[in-house]
Amino acid sequence: MEAICADSVIKDFGEVRALDEVSLGIDPGELFFLLGGSGCGKTTLLRCIAGLEEPTSGRILFEGKDVTDLPTHKREAAMVFQSYALWPHMTVGQNIAFGLEERKVPRSEISDRVREALEMVQMPGFEDRGIDQMSGGQQQRVSLARALVVKPKCLLLDEPLSNLDAQLRLEMRSEIRRIVKENGLTGVYVTHDQAEALSMADRLAVMDQGKVQQVGSPEKVYRNPESSLVASFIGETNLLAARVKGLESGGLVAVETDAGNFSGRLTLEGWSPREGDEVAISVRPEAIRVTGGGGESQGEVLQTTYLGEIIQYRIRMRSGVEVQASEMNPRSVIEQGSGVSLEFHSEDVVVLRE
Amino acid sequence: MNARKAIILTAAVALFFGVFFLFPVLMVLGEAFKDKGGGFTFAYVIQIFVNPVYLEGLWNALLLGVTSTFAALLIAFPLALLTHRYYFPLKGPLSALILVPLVLPPFVGAVGVKQMLGVKGALNAFLEKLGMMDPAAPVDWLGEGRFWGIVIMNALHLYPILYMNIAASLAHLDPAMEEAAQNLGCSPWRRLRRITMPLTMPGIFAGGAIVFIWSFTELGVPLVFDYSRVAPVQIYDGLKDLESNPFPYALVAVMLIISSAVFLLSKALLGRSKLGTAPRPKGRQSEKRLQGWKGWGLTAVFLGVFLLASLPHMGVILLSVATDWYGTILPEQFTGAHYDEALGHPLVVPSIQNSLLYASGAMLVDLVLGLAIAWVIVRSTIRGRALLDALVMLPLAVPGLVLAFGYLALSQEGRAFSFLVGANGNPALLLVMAYAVRRLPYVVRAAVAGLQQSNVTLEEAALSLGASPLRMMRRIALPLLAANLLAGGILAFAFAMLEVSDSLILAQQAEHFPITKAIYALLNTLGNGYELASALGVWAMVFLGISIVGAVSLAGKRGGLFRM
Repeated sequence: MEAICADSVIKDFGEVRALDEVSLGIDPGELFFLLGGSGCGKTTLLRCIAGLEEPTSGRILFEGKDVTDLPTHKREAAMVFQSYALWPHMTVGQNIAFGLEERKVPRSEISDRVREALEMVQMPGFEDRGIDQMSGGQQQRVSLARALVVKPKCLLLDEPLSNLDAQLRLEMRSEIRRIVKENGLTGVYVTHDQAEALSMADRLAVMDQGKVQQVGSPEKVYRNPESSLVASFIGETNLLAARVKGLESGGLVAVETDAGNFSGRLTLEGWSPREGDEVAISVRPEAIRVTGGGGESQGEVLQTTYLGEIIQYRIRMRSGVEVQASEMNPRSVIEQGSGVSLEFHSEDVVVLRE
Repeated sequence: MNARKAIILTAAVALFFGVFFLFPVLMVLGEAFKDKGGGFTFAYVIQIFVNPVYLEGLWNALLLGVTSTFAALLIAFPLALLTHRYYFPLKGPLSALILVPLVLPPFVGAVGVKQMLGVKGALNAFLEKLGMMDPAAPVDWLGEGRFWGIVIMNALHLYPILYMNIAASLAHLDPAMEEAAQNLGCSPWRRLRRITMPLTMPGIFAGGAIVFIWSFTELGVPLVFDYSRVAPVQIYDGLKDLESNPFPYALVAVMLIISSAVFLLSKALLGRSKLGTAPRPKGRQSEKRLQGWKGWGLTAVFLGVFLLASLPHMGVILLSVATDWYGTILPEQFTGAHYDEALGHPLVVPSIQNSLLYASGAMLVDLVLGLAIAWVIVRSTIRGRALLDALVMLPLAVPGLVLAFGYLALSQEGRAFSFLVGANGNPALLLVMAYAVRRLPYVVRAAVAGLQQSNVTLEEAALSLGASPLRMMRRIALPLLAANLLAGGILAFAFAMLEVSDSLILAQQAEHFPITKAIYALLNTLGNGYELASALGVWAMVFLGISIVGAVSLAGKRGGLFRM
């Protein structure tokens, strides 16, 4: 049974529809990501799950039980806030003990559990510190401990790392994943940072304009985007307008574009394009192999960006279309202005419905 | 701003403040501890605590201060919490309307209360009509309950100060603070006690201290209610024989010390808590929209509080249009004659002119000083900025009575301020200065809030594009600050128009009376003095109601006006 389930959830704020019939299921023990740009509805969905927002229609289910009308404080879904929301009039220890006190846990047990929670987030002995004496990273850990200590059924995280600097963010990524997994928690994590989602998630949902666009594991969503929106939101890609020329063996589709003729695979289930259809193709820059000079060139290098482990080319094809390509571990650099030819495998070309 | 200019400005402000604020206040303190030969003595102050009459007056003033503050809190906290949590019909206009009582002069309202609760007042007439009271033995409500009458007048007058402070604290609260508690299993009521209340303490203390000092030293209301056993009235009565009697000085000194102690205590409590550093909200709307009868119910609550607070003033309005209102529930016949008559009375028109002159003068002084001080506090980096900030807030801690007293003593023939007294004893300059000093904190707070909100890079951009500092001020900084300055200025003006203690004490001749003193004089006139005073009071209230609504709608939402 799914740990958390959203069933056709609609949420309107006045005229604005923040969630548009969202349905998805989250499995027990899984770290699930809601990914999308600002205003896509991801935080609203999280707040509906937490009970901080009441859906206009639709249901929220926890382990099959309808909790839509259950107030937040009875849901056992602990939340970690973007601003941490640590109460400044209480010490670290008092902040963490709060949820236990509300649950009428005996005094003696509270201090043990607060200590354990602080050890869990690697801040032992911080009980008596004031909130304002701690750095952002430490506050982040305390707010995590405060949510964990009540042994919630699920942990909800609202952009928890967005206020930290880049180095700390990397560190906390693995830290949060470790904590969620060690405690066997079901986690729902909201972010706009695709690297965070790809590196931490068991599964993720890409959201846009209040709708879930695609759900799947990071590899699946990255390799097999089902729409040009998902393809361009996750990672970088070249999206080219194309026209279907015909179907090939092995489920491949032949298309023609301004950058040449290709064949590519389909990702969207139940869709088969017909000859002459206007479609789009997506090719990741790293899937394109650039070879310089010799023979008849297909395009010209407009710009070369050398980043050490990787080199990026901006190439203008003869037809005028521009394409991004990148090469890992570059052994040589192709100079700006050189003629180049492009190669790629049809496995790396995804044909998408326009 | 360069350091040299900042230092010059600071020095000028400090000089002004030293002369017109610290000097008179310290002089009063000094007199209280000086014996006849000029030596130091505790005798007079000790006498205050030994003499049963003075002790009772002081004790009553303290009780009035404490009970009025709690009563005001009882009104303000629920209102602030409700506006913070819910959206209901007509919320916008209502949240401005419930601030209006602050400028309805309680001193005038007291006249209305007397009319309603007197022996031959509306309440008794109503009860007699119902057959619940024997007309031969009417109850003297005010005779029995003068103390509570004053408490209620003070609370209904001053609750907006607490309301604005608490509302500002709540507005600065990150909604996630409350949501986190809810999320961890806390029920709404417990959340109020464990999270919301403690986090709004800065607002409660800040507003509470001002309300306490205000009602502790209130002169006008006890005077109209004939409640003479309270320290401010005793001081006022002692003015006549000031030369020979040192006790008014001692009483003033004791009140000053208590007020300052409360002010400093609230500052210290605020300073120690780090609540001011709580994170700001992230722009998520936390107001819940209430539908149907619940929403309209809240509308009714807010309207009810306003009506209750303005009931005394409605009495004043009725009185001002009544031909005769004696022993009946409502006046039997109405007339506009009092207004005409009032305009013809030798006290009325000059008093309106005088008040307009004094109040605009005070407003101008405050605007210039307030802007300069705010600029130093926010935009300069000189040392001692914090001290300057604390210094200009001090007038909030010093009762108006103390300052008026000091000014009066210093303006006598041959003393330091006698140059401020114009020909024929004209107190215009004295009153302008007294009004200005006491209202300065509001203008400074308004200007500081405005400067903090407007990004300094906007000014730097203008300078980098070649504008001289003065042109930058005129074209960029002042327009950005305009709303705040206007709001602070209007507030200073409104308060100056209604000021009681300075006006009563410093204006001696009828031709120089400001409105409040003219009203007080009319109240003591036989014949239709009450009706004329009411008519004048109504004129003043209409005028002030308009200006405060203007000020609030300009900058009230930002809430900074009554912060300490």
